Amino acid sequence: MSEPVIRHRPHKHPGTETVLADPAKPRVVLVGNPNVGKSVVFNYLSGLYVDVSNFPGTTVEVSKASYLHYDLFDTPGIYGVSSFNDEERVARDIILNGDIIINIVDAVHLERDLFLTQQLIDMGKRVGVVVNMLDEAKNRSIGIDLAALEEALGVPVVGTVAVRKKGLEDVHALIVNAREGRQHRSLHTDLHAMLATVGSQAEALMVLEGDGIIAQRHGIAASDASRREEIYIGRRNRVNTLLQRVVSDAHASRRIAARLGRWSVSPWFGFPILAVILTAVYFFVGVFVAQDVVGFTEGTVGQGIVEFHIKSWIARNAATTVTVDRLDAEGEVAESRAFRFDEGLHADYERWAEARRFPAGHDATFTFSFDNPWLVLFFGEFGAITMTFTYLVFLLLPLVLGFYFALSVLEDSGYLPRLATLVDRVLRYIGLNGRAVIPLILGFGCVTMATITTRLLGSQRERTIATTILQLAIPCSAQLGVIAALLATAGATATLIYTGVIFSFLVLVGTVMNRSLPGEVSPLLIDLPMMRMPRLDNVMKKTLYKTWFFMKEASPWFFIGALTVGILQVTGALVHIMNGLEPLVVNWLQLPREAATAFVMGLVRRDFGAAGLYHLNLVPFQTVAALVTITLFVPCVASLMVMLKERGLREGAIIWVGSLVLALTIGGIVSQILI
Amino acid sequence: MTLSTLPKGTRGRIVRLPEGEVRSHFIRIGMVEGATIACLERLPGGTIVLEFSRQEIALSGDLAAGIEIVVI
Repeated sequence: MSEPVIRHRPHKHPGTETVLADPAKPRVVLVGNPNVGKSVVFNYLSGLYVDVSNFPGTTVEVSKASYLHYDLFDTPGIYGVSSFNDEERVARDIILNGDIIINIVDAVHLERDLFLTQQLIDMGKRVGVVVNMLDEAKNRSIGIDLAALEEALGVPVVGTVAVRKKGLEDVHALIVNAREGRQHRSLHTDLHAMLATVGSQAEALMVLEGDGIIAQRHGIAASDASRREEIYIGRRNRVNTLLQRVVSDAHASRRIAARLGRWSVSPWFGFPILAVILTAVYFFVGVFVAQDVVGFTEGTVGQGIVEFHIKSWIARNAATTVTVDRLDAEGEVAESRAFRFDEGLHADYERWAEARRFPAGHDATFTFSFDNPWLVLFFGEFGAITMTFTYLVFLLLPLVLGFYFALSVLEDSGYLPRLATLVDRVLRYIGLNGRAVIPLILGFGCVTMATITTRLLGSQRERTIATTILQLAIPCSAQLGVIAALLATAGATATLIYTGVIFSFLVLVGTVMNRSLPGEVSPLLIDLPMMRMPRLDNVMKKTLYKTWFFMKEASPWFFIGALTVGILQVTGALVHIMNGLEPLVVNWLQLPREAATAFVMGLVRRDFGAAGLYHLNLVPFQTVAALVTITLFVPCVASLMVMLKERGLREGAIIWVGSLVLALTIGGIVSQILI
Repeated sequence: MTLSTLPKGTRGRIVRLPEGEVRSHFIRIGMVEGATIACLERLPGGTIVLEFSRQEIALSGDLAAGIEIVVI
């Protein structure tokens, strides 16, 4: 059964010349389904310098690089060119503007992937096809006749095993030789009829397939859904027919990885496997990175060396009081002494030498109190420059690297979609679908990072719910450390009550939002890719990109946050806020008045808030009330800023004020009941 | 019957897909009316794991309930 197909020879379509910003640089666009190895091909071609940015007007990330004299674009993984979601709209626009399309397909899933290939060819673009994962196809005894595929599609085809860099050297020739392929004759005729109005065959196809946005750009009406379905079914049938000539299939035995993949979504083994993975991630990120690595980078390097040198350099010619605390073996202050420098350290070098000798071989902390408010603002205890720098480089950076490393390993192994499948039903109760498990887990690392990750959720409704839950009820790793230490002294009952309150609150907030927000949870429809051993080089590259992107996005907000609190401190407004909070803290929460300081400091960094409770000698139930309040309390300023940017001013403000009110209300109720 | 009631380990043929964009998506990935699918796994709460033409996908229960099938 053969359908009428034309072997398309290049001919002029009226007005199809793409308007290029830089006509000397042809645009090569990499296109493919999710999980086909597109990023490996992109990394191979792009080398080191990649520009990752948000596509204008969306939160979808797009990578751009230079390859020889070409501009190279990566696109989000898509199943077809249309506008069903943000990723598809972004990919569609990049493809429409592209000159050469390199389509990467998965050798094992040709039936699925060639739909997109044929659609790209129907768009009249110059196309080259990379058939990736040939090793996997071979393992499964799937034979693929690449020459027959090339003949059937009418475009050049190369075979690769991208993760092992096999065949990637042929991709260059593919870019050079990419050409228009075989198109369906009747479809092509329809497209020609529309060319005069729309200007390009690619856009004409989009309009014919019912893309309202493209139709609107040209001031015409898009075709209705039935025309799209007719074209889709025709294309699907052509692909299926074509495959019979290209693929030979013998049933093969399953590999261990496939079996593991199956187990990880089974009701019996799925949850134990999840528990093992989460434990491993906890020991890697929560113990190794968050405690050992950060303890060294933040304490020893950041505060002990870097901050000390910056501050003592600033203090050379500035009036300062240096307080030196000599610590004993337990890290408690053994002896404290203040050294006064009216004209800076330089003028009284003898005294400065004496101050530095004071610890006498013991551990010690040096606190610089500057007289000049500007110096306090930028270099003081909460100095916008010193504190932000230590925090970002020595605390957050190792943590974010650790988290993204773990995430990239899970992502490349093919486990994440299975995790989403496993927990989908549970998350639906709180108005989320399975995909939301990723930002929720990331939240235990850094809420700011997790808030950015809510972008991967399908609908605005889910992003709102996930962001609210993150900001309210998920303690970040910085906070978790302090909370765990405080609960350890408070005892098992206190721990149980704390966990119970926070968890029920999380469920309550999710359920209420799910019931009250318009719309409903988007259904889960997720592709389960093959389980694979992740490649270290690919994981590293991904980790570095993601970390770089996050640091670039978030760093300014950490600086602004520290500056805001610094200004409040220097102008004395901080004292007024704390005084204002006092009646609430003392009468309603039944905590010592100093706890107000802890709450306000929590604004700068969530862990400061919890750490401020250390020395208050709280009874166990007071600890519970204070920790509940602090966990639900407004997140750190950086996460607030990122939330305002992601969710918009109005929604962000509502979540922020809501969290303030709820934290004080719930904390107070807990306190009134317990104490 | 609908896909949501297909027992684990059995195969079915799709008779009717739901309307709307999700229909177009199913056609794109090759899950068309007439295609054969196998139920690999059923999770508590209705989420279902399917195999068809060497692909594995997971569907939530409400989507599966909208797909009419016959057991083969």
